[in-house]
Amino acid sequence: MYQRDLGATEKGSPGIREMVLNMGPQHPATHGVLRIILKLDGETVVDLDCDIGYLHRGVEKICENRPYTHIEPYFDRLDYVAGVSNNLVYIEAVEKLAGIEVPPRAQYIRVILTELQRIASHLLWLGTHAMDIGAVTIFLYAFREREEVLNIFENYFGARLTTNALRIGGLFYDTYPGFEEQVREFCRIFPERLNEYETILNENRIWLGRTVGVGVLTAEEAKELSVTGPVLRGSGVKWDIRKAFPYEVYDELDWEVPVGENGDTYDRYLVRMEEMRQSRHIILQALDRLPQGPILGKVPKMIRPPVGEVYHSIESPKGELGVYLVSNGTSFPERLRIRPPSQINLQALRKMAIGHMVADVIALIGSIDIVLGEVDR
Amino acid sequence: MVAHRRRNWKQAISRFLLLDLLKGMIVTFKWQAPSKCYTVQYPKVRPRIGERFRGAPRLNRDPETGESLCIACNLCAVACPENLITVTEEVREYLDEASGKVKKKRFLADYLYDTSRCMFCGYCQDVCPTYAIELTQEFELAIYRRRAFAWTWEMLENGIDQPVYTR
Amino acid sequence: MEFVERIISNPVMMEYVWKPLVVILILLFIVLTLVAYLVYAERKVSAFIQARLGPMRVGPYGLLQPLADLIKLILKEDIIPAQGDRGIFKFAPILSVVCALVVLAVIPFGWGVATITDINIGLLFILSVSSVGILGIILGGWASNSKYPLLGALRSSAQMVSYEVAMALALVGPLMFAKSLSMTAIVEAQRTDHIWYLLYQPVAFLVFLVAGVAETNRTPFDLPEAEAELVAGFHTEYSGFRWSLYFLAEYTNMLISSAIAVTVFLGGWSFPFLDRLRPEHPGLFTLLSIFVFAVKVFVLIYMFMWFRWTFPRYRYDQLMDLGWKWMIPAALANILITGAIIMIGQETLGLTKVVGGEYGERLVVPGLAGKAYFIGMAWLVLVPMTWFILAMINRRSYDFNLRAQRQIRLPERPATEDVFGKV
Repeated sequence: MYQRDLGATEKGSPGIREMVLNMGPQHPATHGVLRIILKLDGETVVDLDCDIGYLHRGVEKICENRPYTHIEPYFDRLDYVAGVSNNLVYIEAVEKLAGIEVPPRAQYIRVILTELQRIASHLLWLGTHAMDIGAVTIFLYAFREREEVLNIFENYFGARLTTNALRIGGLFYDTYPGFEEQVREFCRIFPERLNEYETILNENRIWLGRTVGVGVLTAEEAKELSVTGPVLRGSGVKWDIRKAFPYEVYDELDWEVPVGENGDTYDRYLVRMEEMRQSRHIILQALDRLPQGPILGKVPKMIRPPVGEVYHSIESPKGELGVYLVSNGTSFPERLRIRPPSQINLQALRKMAIGHMVADVIALIGSIDIVLGEVDR
Repeated sequence: MVAHRRRNWKQAISRFLLLDLLKGMIVTFKWQAPSKCYTVQYPKVRPRIGERFRGAPRLNRDPETGESLCIACNLCAVACPENLITVTEEVREYLDEASGKVKKKRFLADYLYDTSRCMFCGYCQDVCPTYAIELTQEFELAIYRRRAFAWTWEMLENGIDQPVYTR
Repeated sequence: MEFVERIISNPVMMEYVWKPLVVILILLFIVLTLVAYLVYAERKVSAFIQARLGPMRVGPYGLLQPLADLIKLILKEDIIPAQGDRGIFKFAPILSVVCALVVLAVIPFGWGVATITDINIGLLFILSVSSVGILGIILGGWASNSKYPLLGALRSSAQMVSYEVAMALALVGPLMFAKSLSMTAIVEAQRTDHIWYLLYQPVAFLVFLVAGVAETNRTPFDLPEAEAELVAGFHTEYSGFRWSLYFLAEYTNMLISSAIAVTVFLGGWSFPFLDRLRPEHPGLFTLLSIFVFAVKVFVLIYMFMWFRWTFPRYRYDQLMDLGWKWMIPAALANILITGAIIMIGQETLGLTKVVGGEYGERLVVPGLAGKAYFIGMAWLVLVPMTWFILAMINRRSYDFNLRAQRQIRLPERPATEDVFGKV
């Protein structure tokens, strides 16, 4: 009955002991439309391949046919759970290319918003990761706190996910009345909630069993695979674009880069939890120093950057999000290339997952924190 | 970061007494109080939408004269990244009451807004010089027929029929 | 005509066919309604734990939700996979649900009429029949001819077979006190002795609880139907009413597990000081005994739900580890140590006596000193000793959660070879 499934291919590579299993594209735990082809021996993964592209929309090509001012909303749709970070990388790349100055107030607000977005994105990661491992309740707790962030976004930009938040040269809107109080209120309740998640998970023997030692990626391997973000830091490499190439006002603020030791799923979990605390710390500092002044710098009516090219990258919640932008002097970009952190981190999945079990593959997908909108673009 | 591999006797005892599991159970038990419920009973209770929310488009009218504020300048159509706004203009003669002369002016003939392609980026309301096109706080945009996603001038001014939930 | 009348009014038929039929129908009606509302309770409890409201739209506070669900499930399309084994596919859920419902016959829901039948091998009957229920899951997974159900079915067969052992072994401890397999006798022994066997047998209770959660496929042991991994496990291909039969079986099993736990460890329908009512108000006493039983069962079911909505899920190998290296040794050690405790108490200290009664002989601890001895020994000697034995057994893999998990070297794959080209 299962002759087809047992994969009697001529090459003889999947032997009779092995079973090929399609995980996805419709699967509750692949975080979207990712298809993973697993070769299993019993439940142990012998080999796996990721099949991506189910969500390909050709964003890079679309962007080449839009003037610079129209491209920003398309960036919301890349990593749709971290819209502000995506906006930021594009806007900053254009500003860098066109040499536009951003007033300090706008810079501080941008930092606050991107850090809020980082918290929101990590909360979504925590919820889905925990739910993949079976702790469904954490999912709703995390979403509850994420809701608070999204409410701030809704009040600020008028949208919750696809924020279209920033503008070349500054911001669309100034803060709304009550913005500071709302953010401070969120920062006040947030650590308690984070502690609660950690009470449920950190020492729980089941959680430890499912995460500790699963998908170990050594620092060398991580560098070789050019993974970035929490996945890299979980392996013990202290690399954060915010520290290495500071943008906006990150060099004026005081915060630390959390680093893991063992490069397993548990360390990546700890790193992200600590990053949320650090983000809150950054937000509070930025709020304290928030200067008065204009929110929009001097921006020409038609943005025609000089001929040239620029690569700009920021630390998005998922890792190094970069934009390579080539200008030919018109108001349309000649070429726009996105360096998606999720896609590059996803390449580490094979290295991590082989030798583990099916259930660990799920945990690892969650631990890498992919968003398919960004992987497929 | 914390070194979590080393275990001391305290952790051993907490594992023996199942404290690691009980602590989590206490947290989940605590949240059961009805006062801590976060649910908004949506169709019954309307959520509070942010003032700047970008939802359904609306073409505003002058509250006094009842005429459309739109001057058919076509800026919104140009600003739209998806090119989904179609503004049709016509030049009409009208009697200017101040001077008593017949003048020519551009008027709005038709306005088509394809919500099926809209990303609600808000560029159209941003560029509008007369605050005519506006993205409102209305967010219920589900429609049964695909054709109805293209909002006509009338729909833009009056809004679409929404189901009314009584219970 | 006369023949038919004679059959109907035959006293033998009356006794062995018509009366049981009425009882069965009443019981089924009550239990099925109860199970429907268990689903409702599960949804409400999970909602409250997650700071939500749960079903609120159908009826006041969503109380009619089970009815709406039932109508929906019956009306849904019944899909049978084209490549599947149609006969087995249809038969499997029925097997599952029948095995779950048959067990209800021997559970004493209360005193008097609420004890439906009492067979002297009650516990054995429950254990054996509920093991057959696993077959329904395996067959369902196999007949679907789909990979996820197959994996789910294999997981569930391994899981249930191993936890069945631990469950049965855990029940031996209390049986040494009750000296009977009859459920009624076990309740009677606890009632007349004014004790709950939970106090004598904490280890057995814990093992039984864990095994019970595992037997009913609930988190943290819900591997056969692990949503995130196997989509829905063995019932991925099932829909509509057949799916709801599996659901029914699962919740009935939960009810049964808690009912056994209550009967064996928590004194069944008995409650301190309630016995005084019996001679004067037998009717009231029956009702109260059913009520007490229901409350105890629901406390346990609430715990099951609480576990489910708090804990993550074990991995397959960890589950087997827990079953074979912790639960079964714990149950065996429990039997051994309990035996020793009873022997010392009986032979050396003379604290017990064996009395005969309505349900055969049983072990009775008359004095307060004896009770103190057994309870003290259970909590101060039995628990630490079992733990010590377990720690000794697992001292190599004591950190079974934390030990470094095996790493297989990556197979070197040439860049050009397309391993999955044929898939």
